[in-house]
Amino acid sequence: MAVDLGKMADLLIAGKVEDVSNMTQEAIDEGLDPQEVLENGLIAGMDVVGQRFKACEMFIPEVLRSAKAMSAGMDKLRPLLSESQAKAAGTMVIGTVKGDLHDIGKNLVAMMFEGAGFKVVNLGIDLDTQVFVDAVKEHKPDLLGMSALLTTTMPRMGEVVNALKEAGVRDQVKIMVGGAPVTGEFAQEIGADIYGANAASSVDKGREAVGK
Amino acid sequence: MESIMPDMQPMNQTVQETPQFRVLTEDQIEQIYFAALDVLERIGSRVHQDEALELFRSSNEAVVSDDKRVRVPASLVERALKTYPRKITLQGRNGKRSVALQKDHVYFGTGSDLPFTYDRKTSERRRTTYKDVVDAARIVDYLPNFDFFMSHGIVGDVPNPQTYDRHQFMAMLEGCTKPMVVTSVDGEGLEDLWKMACLFQGGEEEFRLSPMFVAYIEPISPLTNDRSAVEKLLFAAEKGIPAMYTPCPSSGATAPATIAGMLVQSLAETLLAAVMCYLKKPGMPLIMGGVTTVMDMRTTTYSYGAPELSLASAANTDISKWLNLIMFSTGGCSDSKWVDEQAAIESTLSLLTAYLSGANLVHDVGYIDSGVNASLESLVMNDEIIGMVRQVGKGIRTDDEGLALKVINEVGPGGEFVTHDHTYENWRDWFLPRLMDRSDWETWNSEGCKTLSDRVNDETQRILDTHEPQPIDEATQKALKEIIDAAEKRHSK
Repeated sequence: MAVDLGKMADLLIAGKVEDVSNMTQEAIDEGLDPQEVLENGLIAGMDVVGQRFKACEMFIPEVLRSAKAMSAGMDKLRPLLSESQAKAAGTMVIGTVKGDLHDIGKNLVAMMFEGAGFKVVNLGIDLDTQVFVDAVKEHKPDLLGMSALLTTTMPRMGEVVNALKEAGVRDQVKIMVGGAPVTGEFAQEIGADIYGANAASSVDKGREAVGK
Repeated sequence: MESIMPDMQPMNQTVQETPQFRVLTEDQIEQIYFAALDVLERIGSRVHQDEALELFRSSNEAVVSDDKRVRVPASLVERALKTYPRKITLQGRNGKRSVALQKDHVYFGTGSDLPFTYDRKTSERRRTTYKDVVDAARIVDYLPNFDFFMSHGIVGDVPNPQTYDRHQFMAMLEGCTKPMVVTSVDGEGLEDLWKMACLFQGGEEEFRLSPMFVAYIEPISPLTNDRSAVEKLLFAAEKGIPAMYTPCPSSGATAPATIAGMLVQSLAETLLAAVMCYLKKPGMPLIMGGVTTVMDMRTTTYSYGAPELSLASAANTDISKWLNLIMFSTGGCSDSKWVDEQAAIESTLSLLTAYLSGANLVHDVGYIDSGVNASLESLVMNDEIIGMVRQVGKGIRTDDEGLALKVINEVGPGGEFVTHDHTYENWRDWFLPRLMDRSDWETWNSEGCKTLSDRVNDETQRILDTHEPQPIDEATQKALKEIIDAAEKRHSK
């Protein structure tokens, strides 16, 4: 029996993580084109989730379940996608700067990006500047996301931007910053590309900036 | 879910399902009650209606003086009080028995008969029209936190003030399917409204089982009962129509300046009605009421926003529960001329207090300008406030699921709860704001820096543009019109 990608999208909207994962495997086993599974199954579902979230019909806990389902499906598909196809889905490196142990906001952003099909490398919290630089060199992401909740740790973000410049890798990545005390003006001041005011708008802006 | 605590069934536990709120102790209630009985034995109340005076006279217990003052012994009052039902379930014209009036069940609704309305196009204050009442009805029909409807405005554009009530009820029915509280000109007016309601409910007996409305009737404080009010009350008693006899004393002007004194007097006014209805025909659903507030000593305004209104109303509800009477109370109203910060503050205070007190029908929600001006926006704003107030009333669960020890263990230090099943399953119990803004500054800024007033205004317009209540079938419309036309004919002679 052929795998119904419309049903896969519905399961994803309903946040059925295991079902989506299993169905993706079935689709692969049946020899469906991975790109087609991605577009007509997973992404089609996440597009509806995005619309419903904006219309206040779905909320963060439901969206994150769908995002998890998306991510589970992507884990199966990614090895099968051609290099250019995998690249097209996008990669993000994200972390909280040195001195800041606040985790949740950054994790929410990471999960939302996974829901948008990105491969997300979550570096964690309280990170030295060099960790960001090394990660950009290693993963060659489209996006680097940094967060800070404290006014005292905010300046660390500027230090990371400068270190990336010195390492000669600043221009190969779009830099996104966020966190309660961060503003669009601050992002400009330190030379970041994008200010993410909340998890959902970060994904919108991030996708727009890297053309995904 | 299996408990991970070693002993989750301890002995001698007292659990609060909801918050507990009380203003008066039982001893204080008794003091007020005995004082009210004393008022009726020594001072009495004046009754300007012949049939009622005759009922009192022929009881051979009450004493009627030449100046129409009626004094009643405590024994008669206490006998009368035993005859009133503790439960009435109201049914809207949509057929839903949605308002179950019984102890500590709280329902919210509008007030009635506001002479003025702000025109939404011109922002000018003008006389309220038939269409304004229909619009208010549609708004209330839509808003989820409004349970019953009073007319909000008074229809000013009708042929004859003596028959305005039939047209007003028609406007209410056109726009709203929920149960109602109605005002009427006199006994004859109430009879017409009752006949109109019976058309929907399939007759008198059905109406009695699930009444569509409660009749709003008020005495004149202090201790005076006019002809039309008594007429309505006696008609309601005869037909078993639920009615409230709701004193509207202003402390310091038409009642003592102390809240206890005001409560004594208004209780005496209620108890006299209880005896009167009992003598007419025992057992009608009589509802206790009261808009108990102060007269502002600078402006002489009868204040709808005073904290004393909230306090006195909550105390009155305590008394009603002790008497086993259903309570018609007040909240969500303001003295402010505009739907502004003052309106929001005053509305919130009285709504929260009324809700916590457990009053059954909380009316006047949306009143601004001290009960003179109607505002659809105020209704929309108050719907959100009621949602928040009801959330506070939900209380806190402390069972295994509520304590969530298992979840805390699973997530552990430094983890997150947002993707946990427990969050997915429980967060929907929270209040979901529709008008309160919780967005971040950038989003708020990019969406036009809208204040609460802007959002309330948008939502009001959206409801007016989109909400169509379930229509009334043609045959019923025709029958309703016949009742109204007949009334017009009688009064044009």
